[in-house]
Amino acid sequence: MALSRNAKTGLILATIAAAWFFGLIIKYWIIQP
Amino acid sequence: MSAVVDNHSHDHGHGHGHDDHGHGGGYGGLMRWVTTTNHKDIGTMYLWFSFIMFMVGGVMAMVIRAELFSPGLQIVNPDFFNQMTTMHGLIMVFGAIMPAFVGFANWLIPMQIGAPDMAFARMNNWSFWILPFAGALLIISFFTPGGAPGVGWTLYAPLTVQMGIGMDLTIFAVHLLGMSSIMGSINIVTTILNMRAPGMTLMRMPLFVWTWLITAYLLIAVMPVLAGAVTMTLTDRHFGTSFFNAAGGGDPVLYQHIFWFFGHPEVYIIALPAFGVVSQVIPAFSRKPLFGYASMVYATSAIAILSFIVWAHHMYTVGMPVTGQLFFMYATTLIAVPTGVKVFNWVATMWKGSLTFETPMLFALGFLFLFTLGGFTGLVLSLVPIDIQLHDTYYVVAHFHYVMVAGALFAAFAGVYFWLPKWTGKMYDEKLGQIHFWLTMIFFNITFFVQHFSGLAGMPRRIPDYPLMFETWNKISSIGAFGFGLSQLLFLYVVLKCIRSGEKAPEKPWEGADSLEWTHLPTPVPYHTFDPQPDLR
Repeated sequence: MALSRNAKTGLILATIAAAWFFGLIIKYWIIQP
Repeated sequence: MSAVVDNHSHDHGHGHGHDDHGHGGGYGGLMRWVTTTNHKDIGTMYLWFSFIMFMVGGVMAMVIRAELFSPGLQIVNPDFFNQMTTMHGLIMVFGAIMPAFVGFANWLIPMQIGAPDMAFARMNNWSFWILPFAGALLIISFFTPGGAPGVGWTLYAPLTVQMGIGMDLTIFAVHLLGMSSIMGSINIVTTILNMRAPGMTLMRMPLFVWTWLITAYLLIAVMPVLAGAVTMTLTDRHFGTSFFNAAGGGDPVLYQHIFWFFGHPEVYIIALPAFGVVSQVIPAFSRKPLFGYASMVYATSAIAILSFIVWAHHMYTVGMPVTGQLFFMYATTLIAVPTGVKVFNWVATMWKGSLTFETPMLFALGFLFLFTLGGFTGLVLSLVPIDIQLHDTYYVVAHFHYVMVAGALFAAFAGVYFWLPKWTGKMYDEKLGQIHFWLTMIFFNITFFVQHFSGLAGMPRRIPDYPLMFETWNKISSIGAFGFGLSQLLFLYVVLKCIRSGEKAPEKPWEGADSLEWTHLPTPVPYHTFDPQPDLR
């Protein structure tokens, strides 16, 4: 499926946001004493 | 702000090639606003929503200042006072100031870059319509058992772990507000990167667009961090985790680090678009191009980057190592350099300009003078030995109100007066606008300047009662606050009067304005613009 240029940009930005959100929680979940 | 309603059938000869069906789903009345995907409609809704929230948060400020008018407990109990300070902060930051500048972004970015609309028009609608639900959740939390959370707008653990169900509603509201901001930011970045008119290179964009591009990146980087922090708070409350709960081995200071990693960039998320508005207004009323355009862009970027490495200056007193304190102190003082570049450029823009002082310019100058003052007190607070004395005192309250109110709010007023003729096709009452400025300016300083003194004398923030020695400054501050609040009703009157019965605006009421919405579009601006896009090469 060919994505439009806008959709590609939007998906990249959404992925960054999601990675921050889940990455933060997972980081502190794993290093919990 | 809603005069575009009247322009549906007007063509104005500017080349928009299709009619309006599809943007409001073909609906009229209320459903037109619910279903609209037009960036101008959505910008208008953001601006009205932010004004309503400004009034709600303002009423809470009046309750706070009424209680603090005299020492002792008069009007509200301490719990309710804490709920007022918490909700005042949350509503003003997330419900009033941020949506106001998103409203400006929606209205102006497509017009200033020569785009027909935002990149994701339906998502734009969703971004807005999430907000009223989030605002409602915050207000409903007052009516839950235990009331709204009284933990401060920073939502610090461990208090947040101990609060009632109102805390859960607030956490959900923060999630919604974050989703709205992230979707809005994705839309803004995509629109600016992909939808500029041919010839509108990045370094030709108006500074307002630049500041929003950088702000949107900041939002995408830090709103998920806030969402993560409140999600961890939620799991600590209900799902047996102990991220921040010391009783279970968690660390409340960890919450502060995560919150302020979001919180300090948040200050610039609010300030940068304000810089953008002022960078449009000052050149227009100086009748000169902005001095040092490129350095403004680089300074804005530098401020954004530095904002990620200064967060712990909000928490010098938690017991961090001296090396940590020194790092954050030096990094914080560094921010004065790009900020100084901006202030210099605004002043240099006015140098030898043909200045006039209509209401937008007055608010921009008020911003320049008072924001710089707030910046200086920020420098004072950045110094560890001084901050340890002033931490959590009214000096801090005075500092951030100079940044948030005299900075962001004054810029927002400047922007509304500046673009109101373009939006509505009508002129506001200049005399009343100027009276609004002077009342706001005088009462703002009466309210907040004296708080520096009570802070230096040691009055802590977030207390409903205080020793007699602080009474005089508090009385003056409360009188100023009541005057400031009432003055904003005049603003509402000026805007409504403009929309209902304002004189017809000339095509270009501000001769020095040089961005596309002034040079390439008629006044009032048509419902659809720049379809096809202009060729600016």
